[in-house]
Amino acid sequence: MSHEPAAEKPAEVTLEPGPFGQFLLEHGIPSKRLANSAGDVETIELEGQHLEAALKRLRNSSEIALDFLVAVSGVDSPESFDSVYHLWSYSNLSELVIKVCTPKSQVPAGQLPLVPSLAPFWNAANWHERETYDLVGIRYVGHPYLRRILNPWDWEGYPLRRDYKQPVDALNDKNPYSFR
Amino acid sequence: MSTELKTTGLKTDEMIINMGPQHPATHGVLRLLLTLDGEFVKHVEPVIGHLHRAQEWQGQNRTWFQYQALIDRVDYLSGMFTSWALSRAAEKIEGIKIPLRAEYMRVMVSEMNRITSHLLWLGTYLIDLGAMFGFPFYPFREREKLLDLLEAVAGQRMMFNYIRIGGVQREAPPGWFAKLKAFTEEFPDRVDEYEAIVTKNPIFLKRTRGIGNLKKEVAMDYGVTGPSLRASGVPMDLRRTKPYSVYDRLKFEVPVMEGDGDTWARYMCRIKEMRQSNEIVKQCLDQIPGGTPEELREKRKACNSCGKADCPNCGGDLQIMVKKQNAGLRIKAGEGFEAVESPRGILGCYVVSTGGDTAYRFKWRNPSFSNLSVLPVLLLDHPIADIMAIFGSLDVILPDVDR
Repeated sequence: MSHEPAAEKPAEVTLEPGPFGQFLLEHGIPSKRLANSAGDVETIELEGQHLEAALKRLRNSSEIALDFLVAVSGVDSPESFDSVYHLWSYSNLSELVIKVCTPKSQVPAGQLPLVPSLAPFWNAANWHERETYDLVGIRYVGHPYLRRILNPWDWEGYPLRRDYKQPVDALNDKNPYSFR
Repeated sequence: MSTELKTTGLKTDEMIINMGPQHPATHGVLRLLLTLDGEFVKHVEPVIGHLHRAQEWQGQNRTWFQYQALIDRVDYLSGMFTSWALSRAAEKIEGIKIPLRAEYMRVMVSEMNRITSHLLWLGTYLIDLGAMFGFPFYPFREREKLLDLLEAVAGQRMMFNYIRIGGVQREAPPGWFAKLKAFTEEFPDRVDEYEAIVTKNPIFLKRTRGIGNLKKEVAMDYGVTGPSLRASGVPMDLRRTKPYSVYDRLKFEVPVMEGDGDTWARYMCRIKEMRQSNEIVKQCLDQIPGGTPEELREKRKACNSCGKADCPNCGGDLQIMVKKQNAGLRIKAGEGFEAVESPRGILGCYVVSTGGDTAYRFKWRNPSFSNLSVLPVLLLDHPIADIMAIFGSLDVILPDVDR
């Protein structure tokens, strides 16, 4: 009801930036530290516009050298679409998780959330971004060949979204269009 | 790119040829769209997804307990590793520390699984190269023995479902340790046998030396991992660089090849890895707390298998599972990424859990997926005849690519 006060949210604790967040701040890239994921890996949230600059810095700096992009994942969270980057290093033990969250309220109906692509300068991201586009429906802007990779090229919808409905009831053999 | 032949005035043109999806040498269903200039490959587009079974979607729609049985099918040659990655991710979120004996069992069965996987690769790779003279069956002889042992402990030859969240499924049967020990004693001689036939075979060398060179920088740029990466000279092996489980207690070498990372180097790297895995199994047999199951049973007669945590015969580290699972298994809310070094490279599992009996999101980081993405670079300017020699050397498993 409108006259009732909104349910009080738990006070957000502002976390101090970790070593990687500090490093990015020194180079003028703001980031927000999130609660660590399991195993105490530093997790930061970046604005999409800073993603490319930040990753180039982290990858090419000689002391940090986060030069191994392990995976790009997409998560359809309740409030937002998250693009998650797991970064490791070939030469040291650093680990970092970067999230780029696009709130669902900012995504116009019938359109996909937009995140800048890493593929033009990092080939490891190429197929992973295609996969995330295919399954979760995040459009990576600037990707050289953003095309469905695991599903057929003419598939409709994004199967790993929580609101996904199968176009054909595949397991119902009463359905004339089923695959059986 | 068309060129005109001066002598005849005829024109040549590039040709697009479709290879697969049911090519016998693709170990599954991989389709390659090749752009050829005469014999030579100018552009490749791998088309994957023919084996897509929506494993991640199924993970979100099945309970943890059900999903554990399913994920062995992600990579059917190394099922132990997929179970291990999933279990480690779940244990990390839940904060479980598993008993030492279970860790040793995990390492042991996984290293056995690594040997079987490499042995199958060796046999099929030689068939890919045209070596149909009977040699490909030599590796299967040893693989059969290992599969029998794995079947004895897990109840299945390939889809083990043995490593579970919280430990391993069951204790090894009586006599299993002795049989495994006998196998580890004879296995190095068998590898010598393979090497005597293959490593310096002139036909094999001609087919593999100096083709499909994978430069260090390219491999790192594409996220290639596993033996394919170490053959290019990058000493990255999770078992050594970020020791998980009990790998920090074991002595073994990580084979890294010098040179330009050609197809032969990838072959050699796997052969050396098999020997190291054999060493690891041997050490595990000696180090495992509690010794063989028969010894353990004798000791437990004293306390009548009380199962108490402080009992020197059954407590703590001598268990094989933290707590028996049931179908209502739930994992705390949280997220975690855990990776293991599978025979093909780094196999990662990213889990987002909201505390229910199913996970909110699964993401598999499959080594074959990233390794395959480098194929267009490797095949460039190679003749058609080399395609399978190069592709086979990456040891790609298509169900692992497509999930």
